[in-house]
Amino acid sequence: MNNSAIRNWLGYATLALMVAALFMVFDYVPPEAEQGIAQLIFYFHVPLAWVAFASFGLVAIAGIFYLWLGDQLWDDLGYAAAETGMVFCTLMIVAGSIWAKPIWGTWWTWDSRLTTTFILWLMYGGYLMLRASADDTPQTARFAAVLGIVAVLDVPIVIASVRLWRTIHPAVLVTKQGGHGLEDPRMVATLLVCVAAFTLLWAWLLMLRFNQLRTRSRMGALAVRIAFASAAAADGK
Amino acid sequence: MVSGFAAVLRKDLRLELRSGESTLALLALSMLVLVVLVFALDAARVRSVDAAAGALWVAMVFAGMLGANRALLAERDNGAIRGLLLSPLDPATLFATKLAAALIFMAVAEVGAVILMVLFFNLDFDASTVRLAPILVLGAIGFSALATLLSAITGRTRGGDLLLPILAVPIFVPALIAGVKASAAALAGAPFAAMGDWLKIMIAFDVLFVTAGYLLFEYVIGQD
Amino acid sequence: MSAPVVETHSLAKSYGVAPVLRDVDLRLLAGTGAFIIGGNGSGKSTLLRMLAGLEAPSGGRALVFGQDTRRLAARYRRRIGMMAHESFLYPMLTARENLEFYAELFSLADPHASAELWLGRVGLTEVADNRVRTFSRGMQQRLSAARAMLAEPALLLVDEPFASLDHDGAEIVAGLLRGAIERGASVIATAHAVPEIDGVEFAVFEISRGLLLPHAHKEEVRRGRIRSLLGR
Repeated sequence: MNNSAIRNWLGYATLALMVAALFMVFDYVPPEAEQGIAQLIFYFHVPLAWVAFASFGLVAIAGIFYLWLGDQLWDDLGYAAAETGMVFCTLMIVAGSIWAKPIWGTWWTWDSRLTTTFILWLMYGGYLMLRASADDTPQTARFAAVLGIVAVLDVPIVIASVRLWRTIHPAVLVTKQGGHGLEDPRMVATLLVCVAAFTLLWAWLLMLRFNQLRTRSRMGALAVRIAFASAAAADGK
Repeated sequence: MVSGFAAVLRKDLRLELRSGESTLALLALSMLVLVVLVFALDAARVRSVDAAAGALWVAMVFAGMLGANRALLAERDNGAIRGLLLSPLDPATLFATKLAAALIFMAVAEVGAVILMVLFFNLDFDASTVRLAPILVLGAIGFSALATLLSAITGRTRGGDLLLPILAVPIFVPALIAGVKASAAALAGAPFAAMGDWLKIMIAFDVLFVTAGYLLFEYVIGQD
Repeated sequence: MSAPVVETHSLAKSYGVAPVLRDVDLRLLAGTGAFIIGGNGSGKSTLLRMLAGLEAPSGGRALVFGQDTRRLAARYRRRIGMMAHESFLYPMLTARENLEFYAELFSLADPHASAELWLGRVGLTEVADNRVRTFSRGMQQRLSAARAMLAEPALLLVDEPFASLDHDGAEIVAGLLRGAIERGASVIATAHAVPEIDGVEFAVFEISRGLLLPHAHKEEVRRGRIRSLLGR
């Protein structure tokens, strides 16, 4: 099947890029002078952030298409994107915490990026809890779609408000540099490779999960058709 | 359409007034939150606008969640919601009425909360208190819109009552930050110009969620 | 021939993997009535809800006034009245307040007068200003009938209208259904058994194992028809 061929290629490409990324981070790129080895987390942190937010965006887009077209496929995509995104979002928060300890001496800091990601994580959690506590019906799919759309529309406002919050009360601790204070071209290259590697990893996991959900939906639809057919067959008797 | 809106709102207010005790009890509950915070933050010792503003908004969010839930709860008796869905009433108009009902409930709770806040946190009743009003109104509009939309979802899910705050609070965070900061500034005597950015955030939030609720309500209120 | 008020094409509904309704083809013209007979859980309430647009079908289509029931515009909803197991009434409002509310919802010219009129028609004038919470099941049923009909709908969907009613109540509701048909409205009603309503001819159907079949109405039994029924 065409599908599994793509999946396999994606898997291999992910593996290759990941190996390259690990090599570049640990062997190739020089650590930043000021922060030392711990700064290397940055190369994982940024891609994780990008993927976590992108996945969330996909949840909303899938939601819009589901409300518009009604095809179960979009609901499955949204659910898969939410689960996958949650994984990366959790990783990002953990990575952020690991970074915070050596740099700032605390396990958590309310800097603007970490705060925003934490809010995102809570939204993901809410979405997944909604899914878990409701039956598998078109109505639940509609609920999830609306929630996803509404949460994503909120994200820009969250970013703006958290940034404003943090500039008025600058963190007592040194704020970390953005992803664009990179002087050394090796740093830029490493970052790009890492972003690509994590994006592929995300796409691959997403595809795996999406296919699982699709299969489950199709089987459900098939079961219904069988039920109707056997009832019709029983008529003939 | 306007007559439908008025009819439903009038009906909801009438029902709310008749339910008497439970409305009062819910309002009291919102106030109690302030009492808890007084002791938690030890507000008696120090005069702090930040603590006061924070406590006020906690009470508001609490009241808002209770209020939005009740507005939709009235329709669960005898399947009344189906009667509404079958009528010529637009789901969007229904959203507007439920939003209005939740807003009114929140507004009443807010007035009480402000009075208690001034008393408990050693503040004064003066111009700064009055300047709170538009900030609180903006906050109430946004939260009512969000909570009304979400409670249509959580009302029909298992564990719905617990789910509403879990869904609503993270989404409300930006307006919460803005509201608390603006309120603290107002209580400290700052003019509106000084809190312009916060107010803009709250207005953006309100516009977004009133619109989103208006457009999306039909997808969450239908039976099925 | 005028367009049918209600029309379904292979309408089907399943809850999970349990088919409730299968291949339902129904046509109802204006000014006619149909009774659908079936036991508990046979799907009659589901069918009515789908016709009202409250539930989406799993397969096939239902058309009311020529419109797909999944997307009924307000001006068509205005012409439908429904009486279900649930009364759609607010227990903490009085009977009069409930009716006036629905009258306003349906933009009737004089809600107060309409409420008054219908309270009289269902025999609830004396208790009009009591809260519905104090009403017996039969009284609520009668009030629900008034609520369903006060906007003079072109299509009435009534789910077991005679359940919980005593003889007088049943007479009142039967009279209202008759009056509706005489007015040119269409009625689809459900029941456990074929009811007696003088003065009107209802087509009678039966739901059996999810299929909608014409029922051998005891006044219209003809051998040929029985044979064709059995042969199915």
